[in-house]
Amino acid sequence: MNSHAAGTSNGGSGDAAAGGAARRNTRMPKYSKFTQQELPACKPILTPKWVVSVFFIVGVIFVPIGVVSLLAARDVVEIIDRYDEACVPSNMTENKLAYIQNETISKECIRNLTVTKDMKQPIFVYYELDNFYQNHRRYVKSRNDAQLRDASKANQTSACEPEKTTANGQPIVPCGLIAWSLFNDTYNFTRGNENLTVDKKDISWKSDREHKFGKDVYPSNFQNGALKGGATLNPKIPLSEQEDLIVWMRTAALPTFRKLYGRIYFDLKENDTITVSLNNNYNTYSFGGKKRLVLSTATWLGGKNDFLGFAYLIVGGLCIFLAFAFTLLYFIKPRKLGDHNYLSWNRHPAGR
Amino acid sequence: MSARIKEMVRVATARLGGGQAGGGGASSSSGFTRRESTARLGGGGTSLRRQPQPMAPTVRTVYCNDREANAPVGYKGNSVSTTKYNILTFLPKGLFEQFRRVANLYFLMISILSTTPISPVHPVTNVVPLSIVLLVSLIKEAFEDWKRFQNDMSINNAHVDVLQGQCWESTPWKRLQVGDIVRIKQDGYFPADLLFLSSTNPDGVCYIETANLDGETNLKIRKALEKTWDYVLPEKASEFQGEVQCEQPNNSLYTFTGNLIMDKQTIPLSPNQLLLRGCSLRNTEYIVGIVIFTGHETKVMMNSMNVPSKRSTLEKKLDKLILALFATLFTMCVIGAIGRAYASFGCQMIKFIQCTQFINNDLHMYHAESNTPALARTSNLNEELGQVEYIFSDKTGTLTRNLMEFFKCSIGGEMYGTGITEIEKGGAERAGIKIDDDEGKRSANAVHEKGFNFDDARIMRGAWRNEPNPEACKEFFRCLAICHTVLPEGEETLEKIRYQAASPDEAALVAAAKNFGFFFYRRTPTTVMVRESHVERMGSIQDVPYEILNVLEFNSTRKRQSVVCRFLNGRLVLYCKGADNVVYERLANGNHDMKKISREHLEQFGSAGLRTLCLAYRDLSREQYESWNEKFVQAKSSLRDRDKKLDEVAELIEKDLVLVGCTAIEDKLQEGVPTCIETLSAAGIKIWVLTGDKMETAINIAYACSLVNNDTKQFIISSETDAIREAEDRGDPVEIAHVIKDSVKQSLKSFHEEAQHSLTSTPERKLALIIDGRCLMYALDPTLRVDLLGLSLSCHSVVCCRVSPLQKAQVTSLVRKGAQKITLSIGDGANDVSMIQAAHVGIGISGQEGMQAVMASDFAIAQFRFLTDLLLVHGRWSYLRLCKVITYFFYKNLTFTLTQFWFTFQTGFSGQRFYDDWFQSLYNVIFTALPVIIVGLFDKDVSASLSKKYPQLYKEGIRNSFFTWRVIAVWGFFAFYQSIVFFYFTAAASRHGHGSSGKILGLWDVSTMAFTCVVVTVNLRLLMACNSITRWHYISVAGSIVAWFMFIFIYSAIMTSFDRQENVYFVIYVLMSTFFFYLTILLVPIIALFGDFLYLSIQRWLFPYDYQIIQEQHKDEPHEYSRVQLPETSHLSPEEARSYMISMLPRESSKHTGFAFDSPGYESFFASQQGVGVPHKPWDVARRASMKQQRAGKS
Repeated sequence: MNSHAAGTSNGGSGDAAAGGAARRNTRMPKYSKFTQQELPACKPILTPKWVVSVFFIVGVIFVPIGVVSLLAARDVVEIIDRYDEACVPSNMTENKLAYIQNETISKECIRNLTVTKDMKQPIFVYYELDNFYQNHRRYVKSRNDAQLRDASKANQTSACEPEKTTANGQPIVPCGLIAWSLFNDTYNFTRGNENLTVDKKDISWKSDREHKFGKDVYPSNFQNGALKGGATLNPKIPLSEQEDLIVWMRTAALPTFRKLYGRIYFDLKENDTITVSLNNNYNTYSFGGKKRLVLSTATWLGGKNDFLGFAYLIVGGLCIFLAFAFTLLYFIKPRKLGDHNYLSWNRHPAGR
Repeated sequence: MSARIKEMVRVATARLGGGQAGGGGASSSSGFTRRESTARLGGGGTSLRRQPQPMAPTVRTVYCNDREANAPVGYKGNSVSTTKYNILTFLPKGLFEQFRRVANLYFLMISILSTTPISPVHPVTNVVPLSIVLLVSLIKEAFEDWKRFQNDMSINNAHVDVLQGQCWESTPWKRLQVGDIVRIKQDGYFPADLLFLSSTNPDGVCYIETANLDGETNLKIRKALEKTWDYVLPEKASEFQGEVQCEQPNNSLYTFTGNLIMDKQTIPLSPNQLLLRGCSLRNTEYIVGIVIFTGHETKVMMNSMNVPSKRSTLEKKLDKLILALFATLFTMCVIGAIGRAYASFGCQMIKFIQCTQFINNDLHMYHAESNTPALARTSNLNEELGQVEYIFSDKTGTLTRNLMEFFKCSIGGEMYGTGITEIEKGGAERAGIKIDDDEGKRSANAVHEKGFNFDDARIMRGAWRNEPNPEACKEFFRCLAICHTVLPEGEETLEKIRYQAASPDEAALVAAAKNFGFFFYRRTPTTVMVRESHVERMGSIQDVPYEILNVLEFNSTRKRQSVVCRFLNGRLVLYCKGADNVVYERLANGNHDMKKISREHLEQFGSAGLRTLCLAYRDLSREQYESWNEKFVQAKSSLRDRDKKLDEVAELIEKDLVLVGCTAIEDKLQEGVPTCIETLSAAGIKIWVLTGDKMETAINIAYACSLVNNDTKQFIISSETDAIREAEDRGDPVEIAHVIKDSVKQSLKSFHEEAQHSLTSTPERKLALIIDGRCLMYALDPTLRVDLLGLSLSCHSVVCCRVSPLQKAQVTSLVRKGAQKITLSIGDGANDVSMIQAAHVGIGISGQEGMQAVMASDFAIAQFRFLTDLLLVHGRWSYLRLCKVITYFFYKNLTFTLTQFWFTFQTGFSGQRFYDDWFQSLYNVIFTALPVIIVGLFDKDVSASLSKKYPQLYKEGIRNSFFTWRVIAVWGFFAFYQSIVFFYFTAAASRHGHGSSGKILGLWDVSTMAFTCVVVTVNLRLLMACNSITRWHYISVAGSIVAWFMFIFIYSAIMTSFDRQENVYFVIYVLMSTFFFYLTILLVPIIALFGDFLYLSIQRWLFPYDYQIIQEQHKDEPHEYSRVQLPETSHLSPEEARSYMISMLPRESSKHTGFAFDSPGYESFFASQQGVGVPHKPWDVARRASMKQQRAGKS
C-alpha cells in the first residue's frame, strides 16, 4: 500500500554503488550491548559446592550469635504477678463487674512478691494486659494528633468518635478512645519498711514527648462524661509531661502487651519480699482481660526474650546439619554437572 | 471472535454463489453448478458475451467525470484510516480496553470502595497508582495508534493525477472522489478501485502486479472495453460521458459485475476492467480510469478486518490468577489492605521495552539487502512468541523468493550445473560439513541473471559441441527456446530483452536457452525467432525462424506442453516438455540406459528440492502430421467438450517421444529456510504450509524446506481423483458434492486410523498430510472437522494447497480453537491477512513492496529465517522473563498481603492495617518495582547462540513449564511460609522491652520492622531467581532497599498535617536505637529465604530443568559477546572445497522428483472457482502481443 516503500527491494547484492548509497540512509540498528542483550553478566549456578558452602557459612555465623543472644536473655530476671483475679474480694468473685464498677468499694490490694534471683538496678516495672485489642481498627484511629500537639487545634476532634466532645459540645482534650481508656492502676512498692520509689520519668520515647504531645496543651473536659474509661489527667500539667498517657498512646501491636510503668533504682536481693500495694481500678473484667505486674531487669538486648537466641541457634544448627547432609548426598549420589542424560529429550527420545 | 468466523463463513458461502449459509451440502452444491458451467464457457473461449446479470436491489450508479451529479449520493472519500481510535473515541475506547484487564478493573473497584467511609485506607493511595498505570498504558496505546495514523497519512497524501477540465492535476489520494477520471503512471499504485478506460498500449491492455493482494509477482493482464480505448489524452478523456451501474462495495476480490452506459448503449463490465486499489501498474506508460469504489469501500479495504486487540494467554492467565486471589481474599473477608498486583503494569512496560529496544534493534534480524530491521507492532504478545506450537506459513514470498532460476540440467544422460541448493546446504550442515558459498569465488563462467543461475563451463559458450552428445544438446536447447508461451519485451538484444511469462518457470527456461546460445527474441503469430550461436560452427551466429504449427497447451491434467514446429528446411518436429511421469509414459521404446540415468538425475534434482521438467521431441513425417492436423482442427472447432477433445487429439501425437534430458529449476527459497525449519521442528514446533499453489508445487516446496522427506509417510487428500473426475464428467453438482464429501470422509477416517497406528508403532515415522483447497472445504464441515483436526494434529507437517485466504484463516482458527494451542501465522501478501489476524501471533514479511500483511501483523520481519531468532531467542527469553516477572509479582504481593492477613487475626478481625498507607502504596511502585523490571529485561538463562544450538529448550515454553499451577503453588507456598516468618518473628518479641532503656515498641515500630524485612527479603529473593546478574541487577536491588531506608528516614522525620496520623513519626530512629532491630534484620530475611534456597538446591540437584543442564555444560565458556559466528576460513581452494562438499553430500535415491510448470495463477484459479470466466490463456497473450507488434511495425 505504501507507495513510497517501493524500490529498495531490487537492490541486488554486489552492487557497490547502490550499497554505498544505502549505507547512508540505512535503517540498520545501531549496535549496543543493551539492545543486543549482551550486557556483561555473571551467571551464578547453584552447584553442590555453593549449596554446601552457603549452608555452612550461615551456620557458622548464626550459631555464635544465637549463643550470645541466649546468654543475654538468660541474664534477665523477671517477676510476673497476675493480680486481676486475686484482687477481687472473695465475696465478689462471682460478680467481678459489679466490684469494679462500684466506686464505693476500695480497690486497694496488697501483693507480696518474692525475688527469685538478684536483680540489679534499674528494675523496670511493667503492667501487662491480655486480650486487650489496642490494635483494633476503631481504637487505633480514635485519636487526633493535631490536637495533641497544638493548643490552637483543640477543636480538631475528627476521628475521635465517640469521645469527641462533651454533651454540650466542648472539645475533649485529649479526645478519642485511646486516651479515654487510659490505664489507671497504680503500684507502690515497699521492701520491709523501705519504700522503693518508682521513678516515672523518661518512661516514654523522647520523640513522642517532644514532638507528638504539646508543651502548652492541657487536658480539658477529660473524663467528664457519664462513663469513665480510665485514668483522669491533671489539667494543670501539659500533655508532654503526662508520660503515662504518652506511653499508653503508643498503641501495642498485639492484644497481649506490656507498658512501662516506671523504674525502681534499688538493687534487689534473692529472697527479698516486696510488698506491692496497688489500686486495682482498671476494668478488664468486662472483656475477660488479664492484668499482670512485671518486674524485670534488662540487658543490652532488652527484656527476658530468648526467642531470638533460639531462632539463631536453631537455624544455624539446621544449616550446619544440611551442609553435612548435602555433602553426604554428594558422595552417595554425586551429581555430574551438565550431564546429557538429564536432558528431557534424551530421557524420552520419542517424547514430542 | 466466533462471530467473526461466522461472518467469514457466510461471506465464503455467499462468494461461492450458494446464497444462505448453513444450508450444508445443498447450498454449496448449487454453487458448483454455476461454477462448473461458467468454467466450461470460459474454457471454451467462445465469444459468448456474458449476459448482463440481474442487478442486485441496490445498485451503485456512478456518473463519470461529473462531481455534481455524484454529490447527492454522498460516497465516502478516499482517505483511509487503520487506526484503532480517533480523538473522540480514544478516551472511552482506550479506557474500555484497559479495563478489559481484570487487574485494572480490580483496582478500579478497590479505588471506588476506598472512597467509601468503611475503607481503612485513604482513597488517594489507591487512585494515584491506578491513574499512573492507566496514564502510561494510554500513552503507549496513543503512541502506537499515532504511528498507524502517520502511515495512513502518508498513504492518503500520496499524489495522483486527476482530470480537471482538460488537464491532469496532481491531487492527494484522499481528495479523490467516486466518478473522478484519473491517470496512473507506470509503477504507480492504484489509489482506489478503478474502472479501466484506456491505456497507452494500443489495444487497451495494461499489466498489473497484484503482489500486494495475493503475493503473486507475475503480471496480470487487464483489458479495457473497446468502446473506451481512445480516451487516453486529457482533451479526449474530458469528453467522456457515461454512467456506471455496478454492485455495491463488497469484499470479493475476484468478482465484479456492472454495466457501463454510454451513448445510450449498455456494455457489461467484468473483473477484467476493474483495477483494484493496492495493485500497481507495470509495463504500461499510463492508464486512464474512473474511480468506482473509494477508501474503505475498496475491495482490499473491505477485506481487512478491524484491528483486533490481541491479548496473550499468559496475560489472560494472570487475570485468572488475580481473580483467584481476589476471590480467596474476599472469602477471607480481608477487605482492607490487599496486595496490589501491579503486575499488569509492570509487564506492559517490560514488554514495551523488549519490543522497542530488543526486537526492533536486533542486528541478527536486520536484513541488509532490503535494509529492513525487525519491527514489533504490538507489544502485548512477546511471551506468546515463546510458546508457539503451530506455525502456519504462506509459501510464495515467505518460504520462497518467488524467483525461479534455471539451476541444473541433464542432457543425454550427462548432468550439468555445479550449484548447491539451500536444502543440500542444510543437509550438509546437519552432517557437519561446512559449505563455502561465497558468490565471488565461483568460476568465471558462472552467469547469474534473472531466472538463470547456472555454472558449468562444459556447455556454456558453445562448449557443448565438444560434449559426448552434441545433438541432444542442440535439441535440448531448441526445445527450451521454442516450446513455451513466453513473450519477449524491449530491445532485441541479449542484455535488454525481458521475458513476459505466465509463470516464472517458463521465463527461466527461456532465459536459460538464451544463455546457452539459443536466444529467443521475437514472436509472431506463426513464428518464433531464435538467434542461434555456435550451431553450424563455433562462433557463428544466425537468426533462425521456426514456424509454429500447433500449440498443445498446458493444463493440470496433461501436465505437459507441446508445440509442433517446422524448420526452415522443412523438418517437422514436436517438442514437448512436462512432468517426468507423463513424459516417460510417452517415450519411444529403447535407449534404456539413457532413460535410467535421466531418471536417477531427476531423483537427485528432486531430493535437492529442485523443480524438474523432462524435455523430449519427436520427428514427424509430413503425412503423419497432416492426418493428425485434420483431427486437431476438427477438435479445435468443435463446440461441445472442446477441451476434452483437444486433449484426446493431443494424445495421438504426443507419443514415441525421444527423451533429450531434463531441467532443474530452483524455486529459490529464502535464505536459510530449510535450516530454520529444521531448527524449528527440533524445537517442537509444527509447521503447516498453506499455499494457493497447486499440489505438485506445494509438495516440491515441502521437500525443499525439508518439511517432508523420503521417510515421511504422506497422506494425500486430493480432489483430482478418478472417482471425482468421473462424477464431474457426469456433471450433476449434487452428486459431485456427495462424491467429494464421501471420499474426503473416507480418507480422513482411514488416514486417521493409520496415523494412530503409526504413532504407536516403532520406529516412528514422520507423517505429513497434504490436502487441497476443495477437499479442505468439505473437511472443514462441522461433521468432519473433528476428524480433520485429529488427523492433522498427529501429523508432523501439513501442506494445504489451493486454499483461499479465507480457508487459511479457517485452518488457523481450527487449530487455535480446536487444539487450544498457540498458533503463529506468517505471510507477506494481502491474501495472508486474514490468516495473520486469526492466529495468536501474526507475522508479516516486511521489506518487500506489499504492506498489507505487515499492517495486519503483530511482528514484521524481513526473512523467514529470522523466525529462529524471533522465536527461539526473543520469544523464549520473553516467555521466561514474563513468567518470572508474573510469578514474582504474585509472590511478592502474596507475601505482603499475608503478613497483613496474619495481623488481622490479632486485631479481632477489625481490618486494622498493619502497614502505614504509604508503605503499602509505594511497596509495588518504588520499593520492589525496579529490580523485577530489570529481571524482565535482562534475565537470560542461556545465551542466544545456545538457545539456537539447543532448540529443544523451546519445548519448555510449549509445555508452559514455567507457568503451571504447580510453579505458582510453589511460589505461593513460600510466600505463605515467608509471611509467617515476617509476622510472627517480628511480633514475637514485641511484648518485651527492647534495649537497656526498657521501653516498649508499639504497633508501628513492629510493622515498620516487618516491612523492612519484607522489602529486604523480597528483593534478595529476586536475585536468587536470576540466571544472569548484571550490574543493573545489583544497582536496582541495592537501590530499592536503599530507597526504602531513604524513604523511611525522611518520612519518619517529618510531620505533615496532611492525610496521616503521626503513626510512624520517628519510628525508624527508635528502632535503630535498639540492638534487637539489627539482629532481627539479619535473622528474618535469612530464615525467610532459607526455604527457597533449600528448594532451589534440591530442585537443581535432583530435578534439573533442561536449561540448567545446558548452563552447566557451558558454564566455563567465556561470555559470548557476539552471536554471529564467522565462518572458518577454509584451507582448500574454492573449487576444491566445493567439489569436496558435493562429494560429501548424501547421495540417496529419492522417490520424489520435483515437477515444475506454470501454475495457472492464483487469481484465475479463484476467479474460475467463483464462476467468473478465466480472462486469458497465456497463448492468447502471446498472439495478441504479436499482433500488436505487427501493427506497430506497419504504422
